[in-house]
Order: sequence, then structure tokens, then C-alpha cells
Amino acid sequence: MTDSDQGSERVDVDRQTDRELTGSQRRAERRAGIALAVAIVAGIGLFVVYFAGGQTQVEGVLFAIAFGGLGVALGIWANHLLDAREVVEERHELTSGPEGREALEMALTEEIGPVIGRRSMLLKLLAGAGGALGLALLLPVLSLGPAPGDSLKVTPWRRGSRVVDEEGEPVELNQVPEDGFLTVFPEGHAGAADAQTLLIHVRQGSLKLPPDRMAGVPDGTHVAYSKICTHAGCPVGLYRAESQSLICPCHQSQFDVSDGAKPFFGPAARPLPQLLLGVDDENVLVAQGDFTEPVGPAFWDRGR
Amino acid sequence: MRRTAILLGGVAVLALLLTPATGAATAPGAARAVAARQPDSPALDARGRELYQNACASCHGPDPSGPSYYPLVPSLKDVGGAAAVDWALRTGRMPWKDNKGPAIARGEPRFNEEDTRALVVYIGKAVSDAQVPDVDPTRGNLQRGRELYSQACAACHGMNGAGAALGGQNIAVSLQDIKPVDVAEAIKIGPGQMPVGGGLADYEYGTAHSRQEVDDIAAYVESLRTTPYNEGGAPIGGKGPVPEGFVAWVIGLGILIVAARWIAGRG
Amino acid sequence: MVERSLKYLDERLGTASLARKTLRKVFPDHWSFLLGEIALFALVVLIFTGTFLTFFYTPSVQEVVYNGSYKPLQGAEVSAAYNSVLRLSFEVRAGLLMRQTHHWAALVFVAAIVVHLCRIFFTGAFRRPREVNWLVGIGLLFLALGEGFTGYSLPDDLLSGIGLRIFYSVTLAIPVIGTWVTYLLFGGEFPAPDIISRLFVFHIMLIPALLLALVGVHLAILVLQKHTLFPAHGHTERNVVGKRLWPEQTFKSVSLLLFTTAVLALLGGLAQINPVWQYGPFVAYNVTSPAQPDWYIGFLDGALRLGPPWDLTLWGFTISEVFWPAVLFPGIAFGILTLWPWIERRFTKDRAEHHLLDRPRDTPVRTGIGAAGLMVFFIMFMEGGNDIFGVLLNVSVETVTRILQWSLLIAPIVTFLVTYWICTGLSRTRLRPAQINAGVRLSRSPDGGYETVPLEPAGVDGDRTPATAGPHGE
Repeated sequence: MTDSDQGSERVDVDRQTDRELTGSQRRAERRAGIALAVAIVAGIGLFVVYFAGGQTQVEGVLFAIAFGGLGVALGIWANHLLDAREVVEERHELTSGPEGREALEMALTEEIGPVIGRRSMLLKLLAGAGGALGLALLLPVLSLGPAPGDSLKVTPWRRGSRVVDEEGEPVELNQVPEDGFLTVFPEGHAGAADAQTLLIHVRQGSLKLPPDRMAGVPDGTHVAYSKICTHAGCPVGLYRAESQSLICPCHQSQFDVSDGAKPFFGPAARPLPQLLLGVDDENVLVAQGDFTEPVGPAFWDRGR
Repeated sequence: MRRTAILLGGVAVLALLLTPATGAATAPGAARAVAARQPDSPALDARGRELYQNACASCHGPDPSGPSYYPLVPSLKDVGGAAAVDWALRTGRMPWKDNKGPAIARGEPRFNEEDTRALVVYIGKAVSDAQVPDVDPTRGNLQRGRELYSQACAACHGMNGAGAALGGQNIAVSLQDIKPVDVAEAIKIGPGQMPVGGGLADYEYGTAHSRQEVDDIAAYVESLRTTPYNEGGAPIGGKGPVPEGFVAWVIGLGILIVAARWIAGRG
Repeated sequence: MVERSLKYLDERLGTASLARKTLRKVFPDHWSFLLGEIALFALVVLIFTGTFLTFFYTPSVQEVVYNGSYKPLQGAEVSAAYNSVLRLSFEVRAGLLMRQTHHWAALVFVAAIVVHLCRIFFTGAFRRPREVNWLVGIGLLFLALGEGFTGYSLPDDLLSGIGLRIFYSVTLAIPVIGTWVTYLLFGGEFPAPDIISRLFVFHIMLIPALLLALVGVHLAILVLQKHTLFPAHGHTERNVVGKRLWPEQTFKSVSLLLFTTAVLALLGGLAQINPVWQYGPFVAYNVTSPAQPDWYIGFLDGALRLGPPWDLTLWGFTISEVFWPAVLFPGIAFGILTLWPWIERRFTKDRAEHHLLDRPRDTPVRTGIGAAGLMVFFIMFMEGGNDIFGVLLNVSVETVTRILQWSLLIAPIVTFLVTYWICTGLSRTRLRPAQINAGVRLSRSPDGGYETVPLEPAGVDGDRTPATAGPHGE
């Protein structure tokens, strides 16, 4: 931009096209300039903040101002300071047309030779080899993981496994207060994901279980269920003591502890499997065996 | 003009979201918990009886250790003793105000410090459980407290103490602005749906082991209040990806759509 | 000097004429055509910030002792992955800003894709010849979802670990092959330690490669076929009306890129997101509340919460209750979405090439169906946050769920009908007439008669078309 004297008037002249900036363009230029100046200050500010030790909030704001200032300037430039005109451009035919496709076919088949034309043995063997090789190339994928086997159907709980807390300390009868609960594991496998079990000390007489299952509830009050939600596998860690029910935080399935942990609300379809307990001669709780059904969410061959 | 309005609206939304979402409001200036070591006098006991007859007996019965008047109102001999009284009164949950639903929300405490103490002494004596927990977070180990909290408390209250819904209008309250004595009392009494002992492995009130564990947990909960480590900026309620998604759409995409309209011009 | 370098390149690569041709290409100007660019620029931010993060992240579950500045965890055993993310957040200067900007960019990336998809859908831009690009776009959506899920699972924190457990259960629920697929993908029984390093491979290599390739294809097809146009004065099926790539569209796009970066950096600095130190490291028997995934997976979480508790067992083979909301529903919904151009064509029998867009009000059936589909997803999203909304609105979680379950049955139909009614109503009003024509000119013949001469839409490359181009579509 140069100033040119035209009498007593000062006029901004665009050197390239030698046209004057209009009033609104001058204002736009000024606004864009301010935006860029702000961006520069913010950029310098970033250097200061960073070398002073950095601060997440200030850095974020300064980056936003710097980028935003540039963005504003370019937006103003695009909308007010360009000479851009609306342009009409014709669309070309997208298709190559039948001639074009024919030419392609010619190019592909012209020199291909006699073998491809007939249904030759060679072609069939080629297909067979391709298939066999293709499948074989997939073999390394099978190395990605072990066969499931029955690993989903067993846990480390065994007959006589002592009940321990997550730090491996044995849990005795009445150690957990009434209306209390605890996450427990079999001894030697504290922290094992599939063995995680809830030990709940319910109020005397509140359980409604059939006799064979009550036999696994020492004192009629210490009941144990798998902690793995039978819906999608989250740990059901929320125990509501007053209503003696569990709620899973993931999808809000609710299980009635007094009634064999049957689900009474939410998407879970099956109760939490019960772990039958006994007490050994040191008053420590022990398991009577593994869970009687697979724990956790359902899968295809769960019932076999 | 309209664009300015939209931008201002967006800023307002941003401001709204930068203020932490409120759970139940904690009572400001609530009566400080009094350690169990303070001497109680017959005068205090008498004052407590008087207050009890005026404010509590209509529901809880004429004698705190006896049955209450209504089946849904627990007798005070079953709720956890003096600690329960102290907790309920200080956090404004009792006397019971008109409330919808079973969750008894925090509020302004009705009684001042002296009167609360009086009721605690009177009821505690009447139900033979006069102990109010003595807790000191500075005696607690922050790291051990975090570990215990993750085992016992986080499932309901959230690792950052933001609180959560428990189904059926029950709520595990926010722990981001409570007192250490609230922690100790709640673990002892297991208020409402909260399990007694708070889910700890071998909680027994009065033992040195349990007192240490409670101190540890109180230290962690206290840290949620004093040093919440919100280095990333506004916590947006601390409730995780749901409010974050809301902010991404309304503020993030919202501002960008406004920007796109401005950039495109009259096109 | 610039001229000399350009000459150097041109003599070897012929860049000058290619550049001229490209830079003169015309692109129309509507703001809704910039939505895809928002997504693209969010991707740019993701790549830049993501590369930075990759230098600091350790994709390993080996236990290390934490001794950084987050006091509650000092001395605790955590995975190397988790430790590296905490170190990046607290000990690396600008680390937390980069991490949070990256995560906000991911949320906005998918949001922009969805809004862009809606624009394409509601204006019928997927019709011939753009069906292939529609497929590419749907592919990009899936890749974006996968990229996001793998990304936020990398820190190995409690919240994302819970999400991985749910993902594990969902793949288990696939009939017949579920257990095998799950064991191959994860490397064994949950918590399969291999999964973190495998997610890392997906997140920094496999999915980004596919993303970039498909973005390239997406843009190439767009340039080849030229952009669509809203119907207006001067717009026909045989032309493109707009501004050239250089200078105007370049300036505008760069401006939008800068705005996108600015907004994401602003959020990255001011709004805390995914504070993994507060959640703590993943422990297989711990859980925290509330527990939700990032918003774009939220519809699946909501579907799982809504899902009926029906599992099916025949001859010992089980179809898990998870199958309906998490395998069947997304399969059907996304199947319909993917095949939509062909589904619509079956009913409209419209095989013509379209370069002019529909105004949504002019296609009430499509718009109604689209709105109903959005309503289904919206209901799922709301259910995904049912515990949070319950607390906010002071109603129980059960109430929220029951209301949304009924809404799922009723609301989409109601949405369709209401949308249809609104569209047909708008089409008829005089304010925005359904027909756009170029107008007529009266001309008087020498012997006194009048005749109307319909105007042609404006002309040749380079002409200045009138500034008032008539009412545009929304």
C-alpha cells in the first residue's frame, strides 16, 4: 500500500491493481490488523509462560487467542479484502462412456493369451492355490490368543479354599460387622479377577434361600456371591445395606441379596452365582467348592 | 446481533459449566463436631431431654431407647448411638424436613453447637452408646487412605468423591466438601443404605486398627476438599464423560459452527 | 527466490499447470459445507497432539512404583502405561495441555462427523454419483469410533478399564464364535494384560493409516465429482457456483483450521477432561461411580442399560442378553445407515445423477426417518447417563429408565410424524417457495405484442453473476 497525494486527500492505493480501498475495506483491514497484533502478543506470552514453568490454563487460553486471532484475521481477509468473485464452472461428464469402458476392456484382454479364455485346469489350480495360501496367511492370527477351553467356566476357588481379603488376610466369621460387606478371594489368589467374591453379613433371618443353599451360609448370615456382574462383567461393588441389595454401576442392574442375588431391575438376566461357604476350626471362612455355574456374563457355550 | 447473542449464550453456558455441579449443598458454618473427651454435665443432659421432647419425640417416641411412633421411623437405639445423632444433626438431616423420597438430604442444621451437644449427650446416655468418634486426618496416611477408599468407598462415592445415584432415589453423597468427623461417623453408623463399617475388612469401633484406618480414609477425603488436583481446569462436576460430552457438543462444536457461519459469510 | 524454487519444481514435476488447475477449482460457499472441514481439522489437531503424546506414553502393563507429584498415589504400584500418563500430565511441561487438547479434539472430531453426516443425509448428497463417498464416510465414522475407544483405554485407568471389561463381555456375546474372537483379540481371559499394547498398535498405527487413506479418498472423490449445490437462482445440475479454491476458499479453510485449533486449545486448557489420576489405576475387582464411556460410545452404554433382560438358552447354547442391545441393534442400525442410498433408491426409484441438493423440507419422508433415527440415538444417549440425569432431575434411576424405554417405542414414530408435518407445512408457505426458477423477462415485439422470455441461469466461467441470487436452501 502506498500513499498517493491527490490534492489534499490521502488515499490508500492497492499497489497491485491500483484500485482504492473502500471505507469498509479499510475498516476490515484495521480489524484484521488488530486481530493479528493480539495474536502476536499471545504468541509472545506463550514463550513467557512456558519458560516461567508453564501453566495449563494460561497456556490453553494463550494458544486459543493466538490461533483465534490469526483465524479472525484470515476470515476478515477472506470476506472483505479479497477481490473474489462468484464463479460458475461447468460440470464435466463423470462417466467415460461405453467407448471408454470398451477401451479399458481391450487394454486388459488384448494380450492376455489363450489360457484365460478357456476354463483351463491351470486357472482352477491357480484359484485353489490362492485360496489355500490366503487361508494359510491367516494362520498367524490364531497365535494371538489361547483357545478358550473351559477357562471361562472355572475360577481358582476350591473346596477348602480359605477366604481372604484383597491383601491376603484370612477372614473370620463375624469379622465383617452386621450390615457390612467385603470383597474376598481364595487364599493364594488374592486379587484374581475371576475369583472376586462379595461376602455380605446380612441380618439374621433375612435370607430366603432353599435349604441346600442355606447350608452354604455360615451362621445363616454370611452369604457370598460372585462380584462379577452377570450382565456385562463389571464388579458389582455397590451394596445397599438397608434394602440388602446390590446395584451395578455400569448399567444399573440390581440384585436382591436376600433372594439369591436375583436381578429385580435392569438388564441383567441371571442372578449372581453363590459361593457356598463353611467355617474351619480356626473360625476362618472357607469355600465348599468352586461356583456351581460359570461366573460373569453369558457366552455361547456357557451351558455345556 | 444474533451472532453476538449466540456467542454470549455460549459464554454463559461455559460459565455455568465451570462452576462445580452441586450435589446436596453442605451446610455452611455447621456446628463443629465435639470430641468425645469433653465433659458432659447434668445441665447438658437436661437441656438435651427438653430439646428431644420438643423436636424429636413426636416421631422417635418419648424414650430414645424405646420404640418409635411410626413403623418407618427407626428407634434411636438401632441407628448407631451418639455418633448417629451428632452426624444427623450437624449435617442438617434431622429433624426431618418435608422431603420427597427416601433419601434424606443434607441441609442447614437446626440446632447450634451447644444444643447439638446437649442432644448427643442425652440420647447417647439413653441408648448406652455415647461415643462420638475421635478422628484426626493428620494422623492418617494419605496413600493408605486412598487405597482403602478405592476398596471400600469408591464404588458408591466415586474415586474423586463426586457421588453417584444408587437406584431408587438413593444417593451416595458427594464427599468433596465434608468434615473428617462426618467420615468417621458415617463409617461407624452406616447411615441409610451405607454399610456399617463402610466396606472395610475388619472394622470394629474403638480398636486402634480401625481408628487408624478411619484416620487414613479421612486424610484422603480431606485431600479431596483441600487439594483436589484439578490441574486440568474446571472439573465440570467431576462426573466424568457425560458432562464432558455435553461440553464438547455445546461449547466445542457450538462455537465452531458459529465460527463456520461467520467464515462462510453471506454465502 | 520463491519464483526460482517454483521453477525448479515445475521443470521436474510439472507442478505449475497442475497447481493452476487445482487452485482455480470452484467450491460453493454455504456454511453447512464446512462441517466436514471441522472434522478434518480436528483430525489435524489429533495427529499433532497425538504424535507428541506418543513420545511419552509407555504401552506396558508392567508394574512400577509411582513417585510423581500426585501425592495420594505415591508409593503405589501402578502399570507403566498409567505411570507414563500421570508423568505426562504432571511432570511434562505443556503435557497436560496436549493431552487434554487431544481428548477434546477426539470428542469434537466425532461430533463434527455426526453433524456432517446429518447434513449429507438430510440434503440427499449421498445420491448418485456420491454413493461410494457415502460408504467411505461411514467407514471414517467407524474408524473414528474405534480410534476414540482405543485411545481413551490406553491410560489403563479404572474408568476405561471398566469399559474394556464391558467390551470384552460384548465380544463374548457374539454367537458361535464369540469366545474365540474375544480370546484372539484380547489374548486370553480378562484382564488380559496384552490388550493395552495391542490397543496401542491399533491406535497409533493401524487405524490412523486407514483413517488417512480414507480421508484422502474422501477428498479426492469430492474434488473429482465437484461439490453439490443448494438449489438457487443460477444453480443447475450442470454447474458449480461458488468461489475458487485460491484465494477465497483457502483463506476460509485456513481460518476454520485456526478456529478449530483455538477452540480445542481453549477447552484443553480450561476444561478438565479424563482426570485419570483421580480415577486411579485399573484394578480388576474395583469400580467407581458414575461409570460411563466417552460420549460417542454412550449410545451403546445406554442401549445396554435399556436392553431387555432376556437371555436365550437352547441345548446348552446361550445367547446373552447383551446380544440384543450391543450386537444386534448396532448391526441393524449401522447396516441401515450404511446401505441407506440403496434403501432409499429402492423406494424412490430415482436413478438420476444429482448435483443439486434437496432442502430437507422438500423430502419429508427422508427427513422424518432421519429425525426418527436421531431420536433413537438420542434416547440411548440419555439412558447412558441415566444415573446422572436422575440425580440432576431428582428422580430415580428406575424412573428415567422406564420413561426412556417407553420413549424408545413411541418417540421415533411421533418424531417421524411431527417432522413430516413440519416439512410439508414449510414447503407450502410462500416465504420459501418450493420452486426456484430463474425468472422471466418481458419483451415487447416491434408490432406491439408482449412475450415472456424465461431467463437462463447465469453463464460462463468468469462472469460476474448478480449479487442477489435468490433464496437459498437452509
